[in-house]
Amino acid sequence: MTVTSPVAPAPISLRRNFWRGVGRVLRRKPSRMVGVAIVVLFVFMGIFGPLLYPNPLPRDDNALYASPSWAHPFGTDFEGTDVLALVVTGTRYVLLAGLATAVITVALGTAIGLLAGFHRGRWDTVLMRLTDLQLTIPGLPLLLVLSTVWKFTSPIEMGVVLGLLGWGGIARAVRSQSLSLRERGFIEAAKGLGLPTRHIVVRELLPSMAPYIAMNMLIAVTGAIYAQVGLFFLGVLPFDANNWGVMLNLSVFGGGALSSTAALPYLLAPLLAILLLTLGIVLVVDAMDEIFNPRLREE
Amino acid sequence: MITASGITKTYKQRGNMLGARAVPALRGVDFRIEKGGAVTFIGESGCGKTTLGRIVAGLETYDGGDIVIDGTPMSSLKPRHREPFFRRIQLIHQDPYSALNPTRTIHQTLAAPLALRAKQTGRGKAWMEERARELLALVGIDPGYVLPRYPHQLSGGMRQRVVIARALTVDPEVLVADESVSMIDVSLRLGVLALLKDLRERLNVSVLFITHDIATARYIGGDGELYVIYRGQVVESGPTERVISGPVHPYTQSLLSAIPVLHGVERPGPERVVPTEALNEAHPDTGCLFARRCPFRTDRCEAELPSLVSDGEQAHACYHPQRRNVIPVEAA
Amino acid sequence: MTRTSAPGVRVKDLTVVYKTPAGELPALGGVSLSLAPGTITGIVGESGSGKSTLALSLLNAVQPPGRIKEGSVEIDGLGNVVELTGEELRRARGRQVGYVFQAAQNSLNPLKTVGKQLLDLGRSHDFDDLPALLKDARALLGRMGLDGGRVLDSYQHELSGGMRQRVGIMFALVLNAHLVVLDEPTTALDMITQAAILKIVRDVHHERGLTTLIITHDMGVAAEVTDSLAVMYGGRVVEHGPTTEVLGSPRHPYTKGLIRAIPRLSGDIDEARALPGRPPTLGTIPKQGCVFRERCPLRIAVCDTVDPEPVTRDARTVACHAVGHLATPVVPKEYV
Ligand SMILES: Nc1ncnc2c1ncn2[C@@H]1O[C@H](COP(=O)(O)OP(=O)(O)OP(=O)(O)O)[C@@H](O)[C@H]1O
Ligand SMILES: Nc1ncnc2c1ncn2[C@@H]1O[C@H](COP(=O)(O)OP(=O)(O)O)[C@@H](O)[C@H]1O
Ligand code: SF4
Ligand code: SF4
Ligand SMILES: [Mg+2]
Ligand SMILES: [Mg+2]
Repeated sequence: MTVTSPVAPAPISLRRNFWRGVGRVLRRKPSRMVGVAIVVLFVFMGIFGPLLYPNPLPRDDNALYASPSWAHPFGTDFEGTDVLALVVTGTRYVLLAGLATAVITVALGTAIGLLAGFHRGRWDTVLMRLTDLQLTIPGLPLLLVLSTVWKFTSPIEMGVVLGLLGWGGIARAVRSQSLSLRERGFIEAAKGLGLPTRHIVVRELLPSMAPYIAMNMLIAVTGAIYAQVGLFFLGVLPFDANNWGVMLNLSVFGGGALSSTAALPYLLAPLLAILLLTLGIVLVVDAMDEIFNPRLREE
Repeated sequence: MITASGITKTYKQRGNMLGARAVPALRGVDFRIEKGGAVTFIGESGCGKTTLGRIVAGLETYDGGDIVIDGTPMSSLKPRHREPFFRRIQLIHQDPYSALNPTRTIHQTLAAPLALRAKQTGRGKAWMEERARELLALVGIDPGYVLPRYPHQLSGGMRQRVVIARALTVDPEVLVADESVSMIDVSLRLGVLALLKDLRERLNVSVLFITHDIATARYIGGDGELYVIYRGQVVESGPTERVISGPVHPYTQSLLSAIPVLHGVERPGPERVVPTEALNEAHPDTGCLFARRCPFRTDRCEAELPSLVSDGEQAHACYHPQRRNVIPVEAA
Repeated sequence: MTRTSAPGVRVKDLTVVYKTPAGELPALGGVSLSLAPGTITGIVGESGSGKSTLALSLLNAVQPPGRIKEGSVEIDGLGNVVELTGEELRRARGRQVGYVFQAAQNSLNPLKTVGKQLLDLGRSHDFDDLPALLKDARALLGRMGLDGGRVLDSYQHELSGGMRQRVGIMFALVLNAHLVVLDEPTTALDMITQAAILKIVRDVHHERGLTTLIITHDMGVAAEVTDSLAVMYGGRVVEHGPTTEVLGSPRHPYTKGLIRAIPRLSGDIDEARALPGRPPTLGTIPKQGCVFRERCPLRIAVCDTVDPEPVTRDARTVACHAVGHLATPVVPKEYV
């Protein structure tokens, strides 16, 4: 009954080593810790933010466009709602949509790139045609058209659409990476040993590209955040969702933040949130190479 | 047993404005590898050694000729059905640094092919673990130390041993070793060579040894056959010791003459041959392929390609074969 | 300031450290070595023994995270190189000390022709007569069996490994340096090309009257061209002497082991023996005692605690307790 296989502990200790290694990599530069803290903060806001405030958010009719104060650190908006509360509760939509976009771009892009690069030949031709097609789709005009029939109330819907419009770049990059990796000795050896293609692609190729993919994923998140905030800001999408883009739009076009100072905090708060989140992600991206490369991970 | 007959291979190189250029890498190569035997190919860079090794290991296609493995000609099989045959021939890469996946531990690296093997033979996890340890011990490294480690944590010699252990997971009959020690530290080289030699004796695997360092060929396959290859053609072949001590082809003599002499320990051979020019693939291939560089060429050499003639043991492709004393002699 | 004759070089107690996460670790631990003017000296040793680091120190060109911590490098006509800085140093490189880097095959700029790179070099050393420089380069290349004009018009990828190596040697010589350092000039080349390059090195050395330092991990290469041979291990020179003597009657156990590990064309091949153990890396070089002791068949108690001092007897220097014990008249090495 007892498991006494001689080298059984190896895989287990490996897992633990991985997370310990990640910790070590992050601690290596203070900037990375800052990045992690920022990202964790936003994730926390995304998960618990809406729980911290009553729904709908209370309005204070006596304090329209109030200036920053202890009660309202970033002031209030045109309805007297606390701007900070708006930013915090809006995080969920932004993050979820960003995440959904990233998952779809990375999953599609990686799968298609790997398949094309590893099999070459006919597969490659077909998939790369498909990629070219995707890359030539004009994203913004299409979204404008789509928004006339689709309200994007769910962040996931938003993410899916952005994702489907954005996987081409990653597919190309992953393909060229796998083309070069497949010439490497260890891939050839795996083929020579008769290991199944699935093993070669998933276990040998993919981990070698992990830092690359992870980086692309994080960058895709930032890209998606800009894209959706942009769409809402332009007013292309209806305002039923609570979103940073909506706030920007209202502050500029409704509150005249560009001409008067009253709505300025209302404009700056979401901007600051976007910048901060992007900064956090960029600081974390810096660690990816070291996290996934066992040599760099273990100093 | 493996018999290769008349293997040809031409690479189409995507050239410049003049269009594609064809590079004949192999021009009809014949050889045999006996069970437990050793066959060595020597030649300069670019003479087709790596191409040949990869073809024998099933990693590269060939244009003409055929490879017969245990009586089955590979040309008679669909690519899919060739795989089990070629799996018994494992290539040991030149570069132990790129031959192991840097993101996987040695344990993971060995487990994958062993799992396949276990499935085929209906054995379990315990067998896999035991076999991994057994193989590492066989190649002379401490399994406890190596198994949980990543390739970058091992020395070049250890890495090459792991590569050999991995090849042994599928119980191969032939190991193709292409310059397998050239990237390893000098003091560790002989250890890996000794391992290959030892595997021949203990497991009865054959070794196809590819190198430009003939002295190492003598160490591993002194009792085997030596083939000297030049621009894709075998120009001399025979029992290793015999060819080394009595080469008759000027190219073989040039190769042997080029080996550095350990002054102080040995004296240079009195009749060393130095090619008159450097290797150039653009040299004509109508006559003897070596003619432009050969100090002994005559008009006949440039007119017609000499073919391999054998005295029963040693074969050469030269119109003016002559034994020359080129290898160093022990200093008194 | 340019010399026209071969300079001598005296390296004294040179310690070079690299900064690592584990602190500053010595890649060279107090190396002393002199190169007699007009000779070819070889340095052999395994990967990581400090050969390239020593060679770079001759130009005071150790790059961060490395630095020269202690010691001096005296080159005739230049003085103590360790004390040179900035402009002086830059001019010395190329003009007085020619350097062929390890993997010179890959160190040419892929985007410029060889000729263009040569002109850049000439300009950076304020050469007025650039046509003469080109002429010299063409002659040197011709001397090495290449078509100089064609090579100068070529990009790196149009040249074979052996040709690139020759181009590297041309760059080291063209500014008329009389001290030439070649780091692994033939590694990754096949035997025939190697033999050709070695012959060129030897011939050019004699024709131009140079002091040459060749770094290699291949005993055979060192045996072919050098007059004097230094063996390095773990950041120390463990043996140094005339090449034929070092090879013919090695004294240090490491030298003996290395020579025995070479498969040879003559003699009984089964006498070749592998050296046990493996070479140390920066982090595993013992902090005290003999660096070679883990692999040494002659190890004695004192080896664990005391780093053996190099001692010189009849023009041969050996750093080993077991050899030192046999010594009768021990004279500390003179740095003339
Ligand atoms: N930039 C660096 N940072 C840290 N350590 C270094 C650095 N460069 C070299 N070292 C270390 O210094 C030691 C000596 O290195 P060096 O390059 O001189 O060796 P070598 O004898 O030339 O080896 P090889 O034969 O591989 O060229 C090695 O342990 C090496 O790992
Ligand atoms: N993948 C390839 N594509 C085009 N030419 C190749 C390829 N591989 C090898 N060659 C050419 O085939 C010839 C033989 O090469 P190779 O077998 O690698 O020789 P060796 O191993 O003896 O150095 C050379 O001219 C080389 O340039
Ligand atoms: S056939 Fe003629 S050119 Fe060719 S190797 Fe023999 S002697 Fe030389
Ligand atoms: S000092 Fe001691 S350990 Fe070092 S080489 Fe000599 S005998 Fe061996
Ligand atoms: Mg090769
Ligand atoms: Mg070096």
